[in-house]
Amino acid sequence: MAPEKHRFGYQPISCHTFNKARNELALSPNNHEVHLFKLSAGKWQLYDKLIEHVQRVTDVDWAANSDRIVSCGVDRNAYVWTRQAGGWKPTLVILRINRAATCVRWSPQENKIAVGSGARLIAICYFDQTGDWWIAKHVKKPIRSTVTCIDWHPSNYLIACGSTDFKARVFSAYVKEIESKPSALSWGTKMPFGNVMAEFSNGGGGWVHAVAFSSAGDKLAWVGHDSSISVVNSSNGNAMATIKTEYLPFMTLTWISENCILSAGHDCVPMIFEYDGNNIKFSTKLEKETTDDSEKTVSARDKFLKLDSQRTERNVTELKTTHQNTITQISIHSGAVGNVGKFCTTGNDGFLCSWDVKV
Amino acid sequence: MSSGKQAVGLQPYLDAVRRTLTAALCLENFSSQVVERHNKPEVEIKSSKELLLTPVVISRNEKEKVLIEGSVNSVRVSIAIKQADDIEKILCKKFMRFMMMRAENFFVLRRKPVEGYDISFLITNFHTEQMFKHKLVDFVVHFMEEIDKEISDMKLTVNSWGRITAEEFLKKF
Amino acid sequence: MILLEVNSRIIEETLKQKFQNAEAGLKQESVSILAADFDGVKYHISNYNQDKSKLLISISLNFFKELKEHGAEELLKREYGSYLTTPESGYDVTLLIDLDKLPSNKEELIKKCGMLKRHCFAAVFEEYFRFQQNGEVGRKIAVIHYRDDETMYVQAQKDRVTVIFSTVFRDSDDMVIAKLFLQEFKDGRRKYQQAPQVLFSHKEPPMELKATNARVGDNVAYITFVLFPRHTQASAVENTINLIHTLRNYLHYHIKCSKAYIHSKMRAKTSDFLQILNRARPDDKPKEKKTAKGTTFKQQ
Repeated sequence: MAPEKHRFGYQPISCHTFNKARNELALSPNNHEVHLFKLSAGKWQLYDKLIEHVQRVTDVDWAANSDRIVSCGVDRNAYVWTRQAGGWKPTLVILRINRAATCVRWSPQENKIAVGSGARLIAICYFDQTGDWWIAKHVKKPIRSTVTCIDWHPSNYLIACGSTDFKARVFSAYVKEIESKPSALSWGTKMPFGNVMAEFSNGGGGWVHAVAFSSAGDKLAWVGHDSSISVVNSSNGNAMATIKTEYLPFMTLTWISENCILSAGHDCVPMIFEYDGNNIKFSTKLEKETTDDSEKTVSARDKFLKLDSQRTERNVTELKTTHQNTITQISIHSGAVGNVGKFCTTGNDGFLCSWDVKV
Repeated sequence: MSSGKQAVGLQPYLDAVRRTLTAALCLENFSSQVVERHNKPEVEIKSSKELLLTPVVISRNEKEKVLIEGSVNSVRVSIAIKQADDIEKILCKKFMRFMMMRAENFFVLRRKPVEGYDISFLITNFHTEQMFKHKLVDFVVHFMEEIDKEISDMKLTVNSWGRITAEEFLKKF
Repeated sequence: MILLEVNSRIIEETLKQKFQNAEAGLKQESVSILAADFDGVKYHISNYNQDKSKLLISISLNFFKELKEHGAEELLKREYGSYLTTPESGYDVTLLIDLDKLPSNKEELIKKCGMLKRHCFAAVFEEYFRFQQNGEVGRKIAVIHYRDDETMYVQAQKDRVTVIFSTVFRDSDDMVIAKLFLQEFKDGRRKYQQAPQVLFSHKEPPMELKATNARVGDNVAYITFVLFPRHTQASAVENTINLIHTLRNYLHYHIKCSKAYIHSKMRAKTSDFLQILNRARPDDKPKEKKTAKGTTFKQQ
């Protein structure tokens, strides 16, 4: 079945996120704003804009249970937005970073926020009751380049990150001020804040564009700019599996089942890979390349305009995929990590597409 | 690609350029990690080594080659065009200067070529976000295909202009 | 492809009109025309003593003094006879024509006046052609500085007259094109046996000029014409002179033309490349529009 396709302008969608009921959507149209949409009769209707950032918004995340949105941007700030009678109200998060914030995620219990940045660090933020504000602790070492992606471990204590220094890492994000001491996890037993639980490189690597924990949290998958997908299993002595694919680099990934990874990127098609405990295998693309060359009806004026500017009447520029440019984000629409039913993709073409998983 | 001695056929040469470019043009919007609130083509700034890809030179022979320098948010493509003699040299120089004077229309054209090359294109994530990447690749390959033909064609024109000029004059004696 | 005209069209057309008016008995208007030609030559057409029926045609050549040494005055006397008058101040040769006393063959007079510059030049050629025919070898080389930095040399030998032009190309690219053109002049003789031999040298003057202080440099070229008796014989003299003395300008003119043509080819190819680049733009995208103020806005 063809994916459902919604257009949100002609510019890249920098990031998108849904509320718990999936009837509201927040996205940034490649600028300093976050647009809020409500689903009404199958159409997304714009109903509010979150305008507080002064430069491009890089990421948003909607906390399902507490119904709060966090946004971060190139302006080095992050805001937590809460729904109130008169609309959404921002609270500044004191990140203390001097470079762009690149990615943001609520922790599973929604009491912490992790923000990656170009300052080569991750800010782990929590709400300080006494000061009545969001404050940050920094995880710095040994990150040597921009943090491009983060993912929380289901335990709420660990965070995985990928960065442009070709490495994927797992850090402790245990904040003793607000939570009880964690018990041992498959990634280790001692978890003082900022402790490097693990550090991985698949050899060649390339910039890491996305990281994802499996639903149980014992496996970590990441994609690199060398078109690779790698998985490390912490229950099995951190054994690593890597596949260097023939495709263009992937930008995003998620676990759709205990052993299946969904990934997408510069090839503009979501693809599924299987991990059997030892190896990763390509499974399938979510759409077949169509060879639909049926001529669209073109007005005479358009024909002449095209002849003038492009020296051809008909220029088949469109890609044979649903997405017309790089897919930069996958979000789960129904189900959860490890058990995905329906998911959504956005990218540089301004489309939001929703897909059914058929494993 | 080649050992430098033996000329490679045009098609394999262009195919290699196409493949390399397609891979290099996987770009993203990337804020500077060196200068606060900046967003510049890393391939030009070169301030963070880890954000640069290893430059690739694809050469057909000693005179015809392409340098593809990749980075996280931009790609620089520099082309050395075949110039067999003085006349081809000046035609190439004049033509490239003519195009570079119109760089604002060509938006991906760099105003100055990288040293050792005749023309350079700078493609950034902003271009690949707004345009079809495969068509940008088509353009570069088309340019490479056409430019040799065009220069030899112009050379022929100058030659025949010279010949007719001479003959018209000489036959009057 | 055109050969440059030897005559001056401005002089011819002015005279033609004046002569027609005179014939029709119309009132003559006063006239004052300044015109420039190649090689820094200037013409002045005016009335004599404000008498509208008397025309003065003057020419100034920077190198007339040198031409005089080679019998220019005698030649002009032969060609123009009683039309010659005292040169206007600032000019080298002046002709006086009384519109009330025109000869019966007006066309011939018009043509003759149009050839004023050519006849000035002709003296030096005629002289050296004569030397060759009479076997008067060993004469010193004639040197005519026909432009500020360009010189013509004429030398007579027993079996040939050698005419050498030095010419300067300010743009080094022009030199490359000139070399290519002159190679064609050199090769062209294979096809046109009756043509003179053409030689070409760059930077250094040819052997014949070793003794002179001929210019040396990257932007200097020397074009040598070897004229054989068949070019210098009486029946060929006129044609030979007409061609030879325009060679320098003919060459420069066509180098310019070929450059202009290349330029138009570049323009066409550049817009062709732009069209290919435009194919990368998505079709369905709303176009950016400019407001009257020049600011852009996007259609939503």
